[in-house]
Amino acid sequence: MLKLDNVHAAYDSVVVLRGVSLQVNQGEIVCLLGANGAGKTTTLRLISGLIHPLQGKVCLEDKPIHHLSPEAIARLGVAHVPEGRRIFPGLTVRENLILGASNRRRVNKVELTSDIKKMFEIFPDLEKLQNALGWTLSGGQQQMLAIARSLMAHPKILLMDEPSLGLGPIVVQQVFSVIKQINETMGTTVLVVEQNAVIALSVASRGYVIENGRIVLEGKASDLLNNTEVREAYLGGRRTCI
Amino acid sequence: MSTLSLIGQILFAGLAIGGVYTLVALGIVLIYRATNVVNFAQGDFTMLGAYVLFALSNGEKINFFVAFLLALVVMAVLGLLFELGVYYPLRNRSFLPVVIATIGASIMFQNGALAIFGPMPQKVRPVIYASGNGGITLGGVFFDYQYIVILVVTLALVLLQYLFFEYTVLGKKMQATSQDKDMARMLGIPVSIMIALTYIYSTVIGGLSGMLVAPIFFVTHKMGVMLGLKAFAATICGGFGDVRGAILGGLALGVIESFGAAFISTVYKDAFSLLLLLLFLLIRPQGIFGEKVAEKA
Amino acid sequence: MSILKKNSSSTTNIGFNPSVSYLAFAVGVIIVILLPLIFTSRYTVNLIILASAVGISTLGLTVLLGYTGLVSLGHAVFYGIGAYGIALGTTRWGLNWWIALILSMAFVALIGLILGITTLKVSGHYLAVVTICVQIIFTLIATNWKAVTGGPDGISGIHRPEFIVSLSTSRNFEWFCLAVLLVAVTFVWNLKDRPLGRAMRAVRENELAAQVLGVDTLKIKVVAFILSAVFGGLGGAIYASGSLYISPDAFTFDQSVQFLAMCLTGGTESAIGSMLGAWLLYFLPEWLRQLKNIYLVVYGCIIIFVIVFIPEGLWGFVNLLYRKLAKPRPIPVSKQPLSLDIPETDIVLQVENLGKYFGGLKALDGVDFIVKRGEVHALIGPNGSGKSTLINVVSGVYSPTFGNVKFLGKEVTGMRPCAVAQMGLSRTFQNLRLFNTLTVYENVLVASQRSGGSIEEVHERAIAAIEFVGLREKVHEQCKNLPYGHQKLVELARALAGRPKLLLLDEPAAGLNQTEKQDLVELLKKLNAMGLTMVLIEHDMSLVAQISNQATVLNFGKKISEGTMEHVLQDPVVVEAYIGKKEVALGA
Repeated sequence: MLKLDNVHAAYDSVVVLRGVSLQVNQGEIVCLLGANGAGKTTTLRLISGLIHPLQGKVCLEDKPIHHLSPEAIARLGVAHVPEGRRIFPGLTVRENLILGASNRRRVNKVELTSDIKKMFEIFPDLEKLQNALGWTLSGGQQQMLAIARSLMAHPKILLMDEPSLGLGPIVVQQVFSVIKQINETMGTTVLVVEQNAVIALSVASRGYVIENGRIVLEGKASDLLNNTEVREAYLGGRRTCI
Repeated sequence: MSTLSLIGQILFAGLAIGGVYTLVALGIVLIYRATNVVNFAQGDFTMLGAYVLFALSNGEKINFFVAFLLALVVMAVLGLLFELGVYYPLRNRSFLPVVIATIGASIMFQNGALAIFGPMPQKVRPVIYASGNGGITLGGVFFDYQYIVILVVTLALVLLQYLFFEYTVLGKKMQATSQDKDMARMLGIPVSIMIALTYIYSTVIGGLSGMLVAPIFFVTHKMGVMLGLKAFAATICGGFGDVRGAILGGLALGVIESFGAAFISTVYKDAFSLLLLLLFLLIRPQGIFGEKVAEKA
Repeated sequence: MSILKKNSSSTTNIGFNPSVSYLAFAVGVIIVILLPLIFTSRYTVNLIILASAVGISTLGLTVLLGYTGLVSLGHAVFYGIGAYGIALGTTRWGLNWWIALILSMAFVALIGLILGITTLKVSGHYLAVVTICVQIIFTLIATNWKAVTGGPDGISGIHRPEFIVSLSTSRNFEWFCLAVLLVAVTFVWNLKDRPLGRAMRAVRENELAAQVLGVDTLKIKVVAFILSAVFGGLGGAIYASGSLYISPDAFTFDQSVQFLAMCLTGGTESAIGSMLGAWLLYFLPEWLRQLKNIYLVVYGCIIIFVIVFIPEGLWGFVNLLYRKLAKPRPIPVSKQPLSLDIPETDIVLQVENLGKYFGGLKALDGVDFIVKRGEVHALIGPNGSGKSTLINVVSGVYSPTFGNVKFLGKEVTGMRPCAVAQMGLSRTFQNLRLFNTLTVYENVLVASQRSGGSIEEVHERAIAAIEFVGLREKVHEQCKNLPYGHQKLVELARALAGRPKLLLLDEPAAGLNQTEKQDLVELLKKLNAMGLTMVLIEHDMSLVAQISNQATVLNFGKKISEGTMEHVLQDPVVVEAYIGKKEVALGA
């Protein structure tokens, strides 16, 4: 479904990605693990078209997309839940959801309303808050809204950037169970970027480890979970992940 | 004239001028919110609007109202050109180059107008051409038709703008663009079109305000300078980027200035609004409605 | 915050060899002597006098905007005050020219001081608008206060000074003006690499980082305003004596814009560049004179063109050329290795019941925390647990909602970051906060100059710190061109150069690869062995375990555990809170 082939990228003149290759298959949850500054976020921004690669290819369903604008990539069915959620703070929950469907052509009111209703079924908390402004939501609620907003796009693939960031442990578990649920019930393909390796590997089928702009390790989630190097670096050497 | 009707008279004139400041300020606020650009050429859009209307209606070859509409179209085109020529090439640069570029544009507009229309002040007819003194007297207060038109247009535009942003998806998309451009793009909102629309709309209301004050002030190539600065004062007093602030700030400024001129000094009339602005900047830089945002380390 | 960010040149900070600077000065002297000999017509003599006045004035913007990053759209106010000062002094009050000059400089400096202090809180476009307002008010006063300024008619019959010989003839005065210009350019040019100039540029690049390195940013900004005012005023004084007559039109908003345009065209960060820009734009109307009618339209176009296409100004080209031709600068060598100050008190840092609320968010909620001398104290907890906030409060970046902080036994709660830094507290940032367009050397010098001493000592400390982190080969490179790992090391070197007694490290290993991490561990171990006390925020537990002996764990702004690393990691509370209990993991 999504394939990155030897991608190099830079911000200003600082090279961040040095030959990243990875692949996400239809219906999978794949996680990309790495420390701060390793290039995880850059990889997602690159897929979304916010930055363009210096060299290498990004293909969606075998068609190259790395030269397209973010708007065009969104219209092809790539939805991105960025780091920090990026809820529109001055718009209500409902309005945020409506804008989530901006990438779809000719959406009528009825369809939109029924989609929003579906979201409220998955995220019951949001229904009560539908007229609240985005900035008044708590971190967990914002994360849920960000996911719901991205689902409004009817995405083929969902990119998630550190959904656990700044959330309490219980909320993190809720978020990941929702990701799992979406993947199972709607068949949405997910690429999730995380520092919290344990929780990410627990829902993912496969994983990659990125370090200093390069993929240094890849494999099945269960294998990575037991890999000593991964444990050393991202699981804290013990069974911890502080 | 009784004191009360004198006060009524000053208040009315102040509100009308304040309406003009509000219109110019709205343009500044919209552009700022959508693109984080402080447009120092916004005042000159009023001047351009007034001159375009003058050029089209002069000699009465075209019906005045047709000319009025045509002038608005011309302003829309200018707005698009401004966006493409000044904002777009600098969209990824920091604020200073953009500010300087808008000042450069302002110099260009003023002197272009001077080169074309000459230094002689020009006069444009009021929207309502009435015989007699061009207004009505009620309770000892004289209501100039043009002033009434200005207030009505200001109110109508403010209302329309409110409805547009509150109740249409396009309005929401423009708001989303101004709040978080990259996120808007990732949702598939065509951000560059939203921004172009913002510039066009801002230029049109800037031009409109110029066309409305043209019969009151004379049309000169410098007429936008003070208007623009006072509109800035209005936006800052109201809280930069806040539409309610721009409206309240604009009207309040008009009234304060009007009373200041009547009771303190006409010569330093222009200084009142600027002193008020300085006071605001130093005491409450976030404006009336603005909120202080904590710095992040 | 840097307002010039992308505008800042990638080249302007590559310093010149001293010998080249002397050569440039010699060329300047020759030009000053030759110009009046080559162009002798009365008309050009006057033009050169006025162009010198404009050039001197523009140098004020070089300091304010170019070095310090503060924008002013009211520079013509200072120019005007200087001019009116000389005009009134020598005509109305019959003062000697030099006395009139001193008085007007004192007055203009006072105005600069007032403007600087009152605008400390505003920056960016707010500052632009404030300065415009001041400009408009000045114009209104100059035009309407007829009793003093002569109103629109202005003041005529202004005198010229005597300096050894009488300078009343235009030829003599021309030499005088050029000499003043040369001195002014040299002064501003040299200022850049002095402690003051470096501090200014640090403020421009990253105000917060400058503060925590001990730079009194408020003072620096006010000083920049005063210098800018004095240069503006000096230019104005020369203008008044040069043209012998002044009126308010010479000091309007348009003139302020012109100054800014001159500074930008030449290159904001260079004294010579600004001066060239001033001369170019001053003479441009002479060359474009056939365009008379649309001259200013073209002028507006040129401004936009320059901004869009040559963001670094003319000086950018010169510098590029120089870099291609010049030999690399010599790399300094340290005479002795890095030395550190050991605090006298046993308890280095003591935090009592500290709280910091952001609106409803309780980032810190009553934390007690003690760091003893010689410790490497790890501060751990999940993202958002308040670790960085704690460091920010301790280093003075945030003032706490309640509670207090004692550093070396002294109360520092609510003190400004630069004051805490002066006492010997250094810190790094989670997200890099380097002075990006400054070189590695300059970055570290900003920190090492805080603990005073002679220029040699300051440089010695800086180079020792750079050698310690192993970046000696890179001293003259601009930070933004360094790879991420090196940038992290520059931040460390910067923190070490200020003789810290306590070092707060906020995620120093984030984003480093395994080799780099191991190198960092060695450096930190070495520092600890040298006696440095450290507080370490880090997510990589294997790294923390190698260097820390004590740990405090935070969660939701509260301390949930403390003790040795061993103890903390096995504490059931810590395990409960966020250690990935396998069974909660979904589906796996």
